[in-house]
Amino acid sequence: MYRYDEFDLGFVSGRVGQFRDQVNRRIAGELTEEQFRPLRLMNGLYLQLHAYMLRVCVPYGTMNAVQLRKLAHIARKYDRGYGHFTTRQNIQFNWPRLQDVPDILEELSDVEMHAIQTSGNCIRNVTTDQFAGAAADEIIDPRPVAEIIRQWSSLHPEFTFLPRKFKIAITGAPQDRAAIRFHDIGLMAQENAAGEVGWMVYVGGGMGRTPMIGKRIRDFVPHEDLLAYLESVLRVYNRYGRRDNKYKARIKILVHEEGLATLREQVNSEFEEVKGGVLTLPEEELARIRAYFAPPQFALSDDRFDLAALKREDAGFARFVEHNSHPHRHEGYTSLTISLKPVGGVPGDATAEQMEVVADLAERFSFNELRVSHEQNLVLPHVAIRDVRAVYDVLNAHGLAEANVGQISDMITCPGLDYCALANARSIPIAQELAKRFGTAERQAEIGPLKLNISGCINACGHHHVGHIGVLGVEKKGTELYQLTLGGDASENASIGEILGPGIVAEAVPDAVERLVQTYLGLRKAKDESFISAVKRVGPEPFREAYLAA
Amino acid sequence: MQHSLIQPQKPDPIRAMGIIALNGMFDEHDAEGVIRKAAELFGDKLAVVSSFGADSVALLHLVSLVNPDLPVFFLDTGMHFPETRAHVEVLKARLGLSDVRTLVPDSRDLVRFDPDGTLWEGDPDSCCHIRKTEPLNAALEGFSAWITGRKRFQTAERGVLPHFELTSDDRIKVNPLAYWAEADVAAHKSDHDLPEHPLFSEGFTSIGCAPCTSAIGEGEDARAGRWRGFNKAECGIHFDVSGEIAPPQIREAPMLFKKGRFVTDPFKPLGENANLKGVRYVHVPLSKVKDNLDAIRQNPHPLGLLIEASDRVEDVAEDLDRFSSVAVSFPAFGDGRGYSTARLLRERYGYRGEIRAVGDVLTDQIGFMARCGFDAFAVANDATKKALEKGELAEISVYMQPVGLTEVPVGTRPFLRKPAEPVARRP
Ligand code: HEM
Ligand code: SF4
Ligand code: SF4
Repeated sequence: MYRYDEFDLGFVSGRVGQFRDQVNRRIAGELTEEQFRPLRLMNGLYLQLHAYMLRVCVPYGTMNAVQLRKLAHIARKYDRGYGHFTTRQNIQFNWPRLQDVPDILEELSDVEMHAIQTSGNCIRNVTTDQFAGAAADEIIDPRPVAEIIRQWSSLHPEFTFLPRKFKIAITGAPQDRAAIRFHDIGLMAQENAAGEVGWMVYVGGGMGRTPMIGKRIRDFVPHEDLLAYLESVLRVYNRYGRRDNKYKARIKILVHEEGLATLREQVNSEFEEVKGGVLTLPEEELARIRAYFAPPQFALSDDRFDLAALKREDAGFARFVEHNSHPHRHEGYTSLTISLKPVGGVPGDATAEQMEVVADLAERFSFNELRVSHEQNLVLPHVAIRDVRAVYDVLNAHGLAEANVGQISDMITCPGLDYCALANARSIPIAQELAKRFGTAERQAEIGPLKLNISGCINACGHHHVGHIGVLGVEKKGTELYQLTLGGDASENASIGEILGPGIVAEAVPDAVERLVQTYLGLRKAKDESFISAVKRVGPEPFREAYLAA
Repeated sequence: MQHSLIQPQKPDPIRAMGIIALNGMFDEHDAEGVIRKAAELFGDKLAVVSSFGADSVALLHLVSLVNPDLPVFFLDTGMHFPETRAHVEVLKARLGLSDVRTLVPDSRDLVRFDPDGTLWEGDPDSCCHIRKTEPLNAALEGFSAWITGRKRFQTAERGVLPHFELTSDDRIKVNPLAYWAEADVAAHKSDHDLPEHPLFSEGFTSIGCAPCTSAIGEGEDARAGRWRGFNKAECGIHFDVSGEIAPPQIREAPMLFKKGRFVTDPFKPLGENANLKGVRYVHVPLSKVKDNLDAIRQNPHPLGLLIEASDRVEDVAEDLDRFSSVAVSFPAFGDGRGYSTARLLRERYGYRGEIRAVGDVLTDQIGFMARCGFDAFAVANDATKKALEKGELAEISVYMQPVGLTEVPVGTRPFLRKPAEPVARRP
């Protein structure tokens, strides 16, 4: 993975010093909260319902054991013993004290981590496929380009005060595991007619109160021009994005209001000007960055899983292998997902001890590599198939072997009313109830892959718009209610869920989901027609009827 | 000089004596002696010129002791504080001055050069010229000498002021108070229980026309309040010993930060009805420039351009070179449009003049601004001023990306880093 050089170190420690000064000025009263706000946000520090919240950047979701141990240490020393992994592939600490934050940042910089640009109206941490560099279906590893984008966008002087935050996602595989069409810019690796790999560019995707699917603005941008192209998009957005209303300030609204054709024209004319300038990426530079992401020294092996045999021997382990492993590009290896969605737990939370266990496993079994997925899970990307059992046993001993990845209980859930000042309704208790109802091995085996996402309000931090089933907290006359959506999809077949009907009370949610599941089970053509495929085939009507049938 | 055609009498006795000798005759603080000598030498060819400002009473009192009937010229610029006019009447009565003559500007000059009374804003030199220099020159016709109240301590240029000065139009300027210190003036006023200018107690120690006079802070040069923010310390009527107009002195204006320090800002706000053909040292809003291109192109003076956040610099691309300064506005620190504007100015349009950030400019933004091409910062925020004065610019010393034309030349690698090391081996 990428390693800091002196330059990065200077950059990050310079920032820590600068922020320490800013915190001191805030504490001394020289900065008003209003003046401090953009500065702290630039350093990942939010003000939440109860306290400050620090969001630490995990660039494109990649880290190593030393870094995860440092996060565990910070959780223990400055927080309440745990951290929360987010849909942005980052980690958040919910209880730091303002005066400790500079120290935390300094500790982070010791392990080449920081909180820069995890918030504020700037270009945020680039996210990508959690199996980048490992997945069997990948055209190229997107991380070198993600790293180059990270460098280009870090404290970019022109784009630090954008109309609104700006998120870029990138995937090197045709199967989109990074939800690129729900980002301000989505990049998908493409091979052109000449056999060169470059990037298809989507723009204007997003969730929130106005969910939009990113639209294809350009079919192919070669590596060397990518930064120039991104700069062109950002400049057009910086100049013309709305600043009068923060709910209309994302680039998706600009695309919507101006039309894709107009925006494309503006971007293209800007691109004509900047193309071929200082941002042209020389092949040698790309190669140099690529070297950081060179594949590890895989052992030669033709090991493979024999699921049938496993099922006879150990059903639990077999389920883990079936759901939590992902095909690896190198024979004899697999990528293992560690679910942070145990039944009854808080989705995405990990204790300091759990982090340390995972760090050890990464060191021993995954070439010291770790990933955070946007589904709020952790990933050991390169595990030899012959080691999987050993990994499983350790995980199992620490309550980390939940075999539910991609299943209904692998929910994305926002903090909701328990932590969030903006929430209409609780999310975590709903998730817990649903996990109780559907989380058994038998039920999940019967239902198959199904993504269920929960947000406590229309801001959609829980990605309910792209849940095959989405649960959205609304408020009516002081009561917490929930609306269900159907048919959302974050993959390459992107779609936004449709609202099924009026809101229902919390207690009614598991039954309503049950009726949707039963409807699916009744109409699927075969056991391997997944929930989302069935919904797309028959449309929402039968499900709507079932939802309203209560 | 406009009135050099006037041939004042050549006072032979003075010539004979020599100005130098004359200057050696009096004890430094013997102001009254100097006035007596002047009255004796020039008789009815002697006048007094007074601003009726904060300190004027001291000189006028001494004059009244010698001869209360000497003509006293008061330059009524039309821009004085009402308190000053009242003060004229008070002093006339108290000191028994019988011949105070009010000098007013030529109304034709006013109509021609200063129809809306805002000339002082953009061009105080011309304003003083028509309101003070011209009327005084006219009034002094037929006089050989005039008495002023100037003192050495007042400004740096006046540090060598003698009692008697020969001016380039061959008159003698008499400065009885040349060696007086501030304390001498104050003592004289209180010893003789002389009336104070009504504004003196409010911090105005040097009082000129209302628009050009501001109260001064403690420890500031007594005349710091005059033409605050301009490269101007003297009007056209005072000359240095050799007869030249005293060179303008740069005085610090506390606003514009440039090249690592606060400098005097020659630019002023644009008056509402200003004539765009004639204004100078103002930033004209882009929309106005667009609508008045001919006037702007005909205007021969230094001008600036103001680009609001929502303006498109493209719209005036062809005329950019005409402006010596471009002000890019930040209506709020969170509004980052100006960064793009500055980069376009520098990188796309090759603009080489000053680009100044105006509006909500805070320390933490200045590093970003500089990288985008800003080289001047109009700072209003106090904490930011303080930080800049102390040199505590929130500096970003390493950059992650190339920006602009100078940071990384085209064709070189944008990111200069160390090569990677091999990835950790599996244990
Ligand atoms: C256009 C320019 C100016 C004109 C026409 C002008 C005219 C006069 C006149 C007529 C007086 C009366 C003498 C007196 O009150 O004793 C005077 C006094 C004085 N002038 Fe000026 N002046 C001009 C500019 C300046 C400038 C630029 C300064 C200083 C920087 C200055 C400083 C003084 C001072 C200190 C006095 C002494 C009396 C007092 O402080 O009230 N003047 N000036
Ligand atoms: S979706 Fe709403 S409730 Fe949930 S975290 Fe976001 S803002 Fe808070
Ligand atoms: S003092 Fe000011 S207003 Fe008065 S004449 Fe001079 S510049 Fe004009």
